[in-house]
Amino acid sequence: MRERNGTFDWRSDVRARLAGAKLRPEDEAQIVEEVGHHLEQQFEEMTPRVGQKAAREALLAQLHEREFDQAVAGKRRREAPSRARVWTSSSILQDIRYGLRSLRRSPGTLVAGSAALALGIGLTTMMFSVIYGLLIKGLPYDDPSRIAVVKFIDPTQPGVDALVPLADVTKYRTQQRSFEFLGGYSDATVNVSGGDRPDRVQASRVTRGVLDVARVRPRLGRLFVEADVAADAPPTAVLSYALWRDRFAADSSALGTTLRVDGRPHTIVGVMPPGFEFPASTRVWLPLPTDPAPAQAAGGGPVVSLIGRLRPDVPYDNANAEFKELARQIAAARPVADTNSHLRIAVLPFVRASVNPRFFTLLYAMLGAVFLVLLVACANVTNLLLDRAVNRSREIGIRTALGASRLAVMRQSLVESGILAIIAACLGMAIAQLGITLFNRAVAGAPGPMFWMDVRLHPPVLAFVVAVAIAASLVSGLLPAIQSSRLDVAAILKDESHGASSLRVGRLSRAIVVVQIAVSSAVLLASGFITRTIVELRNVDPRFDTRGITTAHVTLATRDTSRQRAFFEALARDVEKLPGHEDLYVGAGLPGTGWIAHHITVEGQTYRGDRDHPIARTLSVTPGFFQTFGVRVVRGRTIAAGDRAGTEGVAVVSESYARRVLKGRDPIGGRLRVSSAPDAPWLTVVGVIPTLFASTFDDPWPPEVLTSFSQQTGVASAALAFRGGGDGASAAAALRKIVAAIDPEVPVYGVQSMTDVMAQPLFLFDVFASMFVVFGVVALALSAIGLYAVMTFSVSRRAREMGIRLALGATAGAVLRLIARQGARQTALGMAIGFSLGMLLVRAIAASLFGVRPNDPIVLVVVAAVLGGSATIACVVPARRATRVDPVVALRSE
Amino acid sequence: MCGSHISDSPPMLTDELKKGSAEFLVLSLLDAEPRHGYELQKLIESRSAGVLVFHVASLYPLLYRMEERGLILGRWVEKAGERRRRYYRITPAGRSALEAQRTTWREFVGAINRVAGVRYA
Repeated sequence: MRERNGTFDWRSDVRARLAGAKLRPEDEAQIVEEVGHHLEQQFEEMTPRVGQKAAREALLAQLHEREFDQAVAGKRRREAPSRARVWTSSSILQDIRYGLRSLRRSPGTLVAGSAALALGIGLTTMMFSVIYGLLIKGLPYDDPSRIAVVKFIDPTQPGVDALVPLADVTKYRTQQRSFEFLGGYSDATVNVSGGDRPDRVQASRVTRGVLDVARVRPRLGRLFVEADVAADAPPTAVLSYALWRDRFAADSSALGTTLRVDGRPHTIVGVMPPGFEFPASTRVWLPLPTDPAPAQAAGGGPVVSLIGRLRPDVPYDNANAEFKELARQIAAARPVADTNSHLRIAVLPFVRASVNPRFFTLLYAMLGAVFLVLLVACANVTNLLLDRAVNRSREIGIRTALGASRLAVMRQSLVESGILAIIAACLGMAIAQLGITLFNRAVAGAPGPMFWMDVRLHPPVLAFVVAVAIAASLVSGLLPAIQSSRLDVAAILKDESHGASSLRVGRLSRAIVVVQIAVSSAVLLASGFITRTIVELRNVDPRFDTRGITTAHVTLATRDTSRQRAFFEALARDVEKLPGHEDLYVGAGLPGTGWIAHHITVEGQTYRGDRDHPIARTLSVTPGFFQTFGVRVVRGRTIAAGDRAGTEGVAVVSESYARRVLKGRDPIGGRLRVSSAPDAPWLTVVGVIPTLFASTFDDPWPPEVLTSFSQQTGVASAALAFRGGGDGASAAAALRKIVAAIDPEVPVYGVQSMTDVMAQPLFLFDVFASMFVVFGVVALALSAIGLYAVMTFSVSRRAREMGIRLALGATAGAVLRLIARQGARQTALGMAIGFSLGMLLVRAIAASLFGVRPNDPIVLVVVAAVLGGSATIACVVPARRATRVDPVVALRSE
Repeated sequence: MCGSHISDSPPMLTDELKKGSAEFLVLSLLDAEPRHGYELQKLIESRSAGVLVFHVASLYPLLYRMEERGLILGRWVEKAGERRRRYYRITPAGRSALEAQRTTWREFVGAINRVAGVRYA
């Protein structure tokens, strides 16, 4: 007989009565509570009539009737749900309904959880759709993964691939077995004319069959046939849809008429469908004869890239091995020693081969980064759900007592995180769609975009969203689910606050926050370096003027040097008529990009071979270069009007040339050749200029040599630059008129401001770098919110402890320090882990950094300060709240 | 007090008769409003003027059985200032069962009356 405070503990009696029944704990808890309560009430009612002793005996007798035992226990045993029943569709539906109802009751969790996940899912989806549209989806043709390129990678010149002599194409084609078809193509820009005005367009010269690789039928006419590639065949051309639309107004009678390409009439035999630009953003295709003329057979003639369609059953590895061996055999059979033995041969899918490896790495590093952001978001949701699990421990206890199995409790918790993930996936797709729209808008103006790029929410991307959402709901829901199912039911039903501590969520939440801080430090560190790179690029002083300058290009089709010279002399003379212009420049190119790298021979030096010669980038300019771009010589003189053909050859070199090539010797008066060939003319160095920015990441301040445009022969192409002359459109029109008067076949193209010219090479980088910065900021925000939530939660659970401390005389400052110390420990640990992780990420993108070393202390300090600052705010706000706890209130609250 | 269902029961009301009617009684009482176990016991006792008496050993097995069969549904309800209690309410299935039992009962009583000639005032 158990007695407590003068009354009987009927529940213990019931529990003892059920002891032998082997009920499930939750069933037992229910019966104990219900029947115990019943007996208690009946006892109170009977006692005044029959006395305590008699009442107790009577009720105990009732309780011990056999029927109670058998009926209750037997029934409950039967009712124990089988595992299978937990997973019926109706019970899951019930869970979903319940989950929706209970989430609606706590809108905070719903909004915060789904917003965090939506950001994570949105960014991940956006990044994945970029990668999918750019790298995975491949060419928009039949079985694109089989369209392959044979690359000859030069390890000494990353990003610049070697080409093969046209004659080798036949050798490779006849000896190989991996490809269904193998051919060669070379890119070129050509002048097209024979309409209202000439144009400069991208052309691909292709051996027969290269166009068939894509398995795309022409919209009009035909592709090239054997007769088109014969050595003496009349010239033919296949047009892209865009060129046909722009030059022939999409008139089908254009078929069979001629298009002048570089001054020669070509018969139009076909028009490709819209969007077809294979293999190189091509506007017009020209046949490339493989007839082995003597010059070609000896390895001369044009050089091409190898392209083809792999047989369906041949793995890339096998093709690689075959071509490695073939290349060795072909080189060995060459009459002259092969200079390309250092090349590495790789058979790669077309898209993989066409994307700069650095860009490839950057994209995947970014995908890694967004997955980390998603992980941070999941961690936030995990903590929210853990918090919720604690607040609902009583509810969960009751559910368990009412017969919910551990599995069912877990499932309920997972269903709730699943609901959050579904909402987040929908919002996330909207975020991704917004990002994709912005991305597409940003790259729409990109120069030479990868023509196959098609960034949308493709079905596989949607499948990815579903997979990510499922993963996110599992990642964020599993821990709370497991924790909930481990609740001590009896303890909770007795005393909620005690029972909740059986979850031990405090330690878990804190661990999660450490992970969160670690991950976001890693992402933030990487975006810190990228941000620094963007800032450096924006602020870089190129050492020449870019503002207020309009630029344009002209290229002659003729190879006749005297006609070329006559044209450029006429151009230099007539362009002076350009209305309203101030400074004016005509030369081989513009400052910034587009110079040509040459081997340099310094007089007095001996070189054993080509590779011993130093390399400098070179540009032939007219005196206008120095005025127009504000380039001042630091010593000596500029290229002058008198430096023309027939006078002593001159050169102006950069300071970096003096430093790196001449090892600091005085360049003035010295002589050099812009070639490794011994018959190239000597040029005397007459001036030194500051090093001009090369608009590239690899070597932004390379050795530079300026030569005189007028002393150059065999120049077919020129750049123009001028200040003033009205807006771009009117200047372009005036310029076209001037050029057309000299030669109506010569197009004026690429009319744009110098600032746009400078922005171009870094354009895509800018887009992706900005995305990276967004990732960093989102990660930071999410983890700061996460830390704040966990601190708030932990402070609220420790309110009683704080109350006691304050009541016992602790100062507010001491309590603040106590809480802040906990936050600081987590932050420090997280940052230590995160920075090591982040350095790996930074190393992966090191090639994309500019003006900042991967161990730059400033970035490290700033990132640490930003993280530390956010963490401090996230800790101090809840901590301050804790110090305002009224000890009396805190002690009373249970 | 150790009898299975009845205390001070008149000899004519057999255990079997009560057993058969218990479910009917519970459904009838829950038809009006949800009630907890103790209330059900008290109501049956008072309305039958002590003729029918259920206690824990018979009442709860009955309730659990009825709940399992889907005739009634038990729920924990908390009211301000009170201990929480398990309230039972009648389900649609329970309601149709009740209707059927009412009809059977009326027919049974009618038949008994006609045969036994019991008359009401």
